[in-house]
Amino acid sequence: MAGITTHVLNTATGTPGAGMRIDFSVWEDGKYKLVKTVHTNSDGRTDQMILKAEDTKVGKYELVFHVREYFAKIGTPMPDLAFIDTVPVRFAVFDTAQHYHVPMLATPWSCTTYRGS
Amino acid sequence: MSNQDLPRRKFLATGLALGASVLGTTEALAQAAPAAPQSAKAAGPGRLTMHAIDVWNGLPASGIRVDLSKLEGDTYRLVQSFNANKGGRTDKPLFEGENFARGSYEILLHVEEHYAKIGAQMPNPSFLTSVPIRFSIADPGQRYHIAILLTPWSYSYYRGS
Repeated sequence: MAGITTHVLNTATGTPGAGMRIDFSVWEDGKYKLVKTVHTNSDGRTDQMILKAEDTKVGKYELVFHVREYFAKIGTPMPDLAFIDTVPVRFAVFDTAQHYHVPMLATPWSCTTYRGS
Repeated sequence: MSNQDLPRRKFLATGLALGASVLGTTEALAQAAPAAPQSAKAAGPGRLTMHAIDVWNGLPASGIRVDLSKLEGDTYRLVQSFNANKGGRTDKPLFEGENFARGSYEILLHVEEHYAKIGAQMPNPSFLTSVPIRFSIADPGQRYHIAILLTPWSYSYYRGS
């Protein structure tokens, strides 16, 4: 499988990050242009791939994870100005035959992303 | 813990014991007390520091180029560009005392450039180019340490200490 997928995990509670808003953009004409906004399902994944193999091109992409909004929604205490709000993850696709799985492991005080599989 | 750390730890332990006897009971007790939530504030004026570690090579991200910006309106405005020191830190805090303000900040790390410089094999275009680390400071009276762990394929950041 090629294309782009993601998976959000709430590593503060050890559960999937369900219902997190994600903005997906593609780099075009010198800026990130919004393609779509999605929400993670109960497993922390998205029902549809972020980008299907046939639509994926070599280039730069951005996933913006709405981390503060997610933790606020599930009632996690945070300062009035949260340490982490939205987290932009910028990455490039260099081979459209490969799969790019880009997870987000989040707490209100930390986050991690990586090329997964 | 490596063997090299042993003499240093012994030295630290001796130093603490000496310090306690000189300072007297009250202060020694205060030093031994568990950290209270407000201890960051009591420890001195607030400040912002960072540390970038190349966990791919098990080394500090020595010399990595960094752009520090502050959010003004809806734009991150450049405060300063610099290269991390040999230890992956900065010689002085990024902000401290009166210069440290409540608000949102960005540390932009030039990850692709760093790994290219140290000769890492990467695809073209590389998976990560410049990595924006965004965070907000609710109370500039506290100490904020931004710890960043990097590889060409991943990164983590957290509020350290």
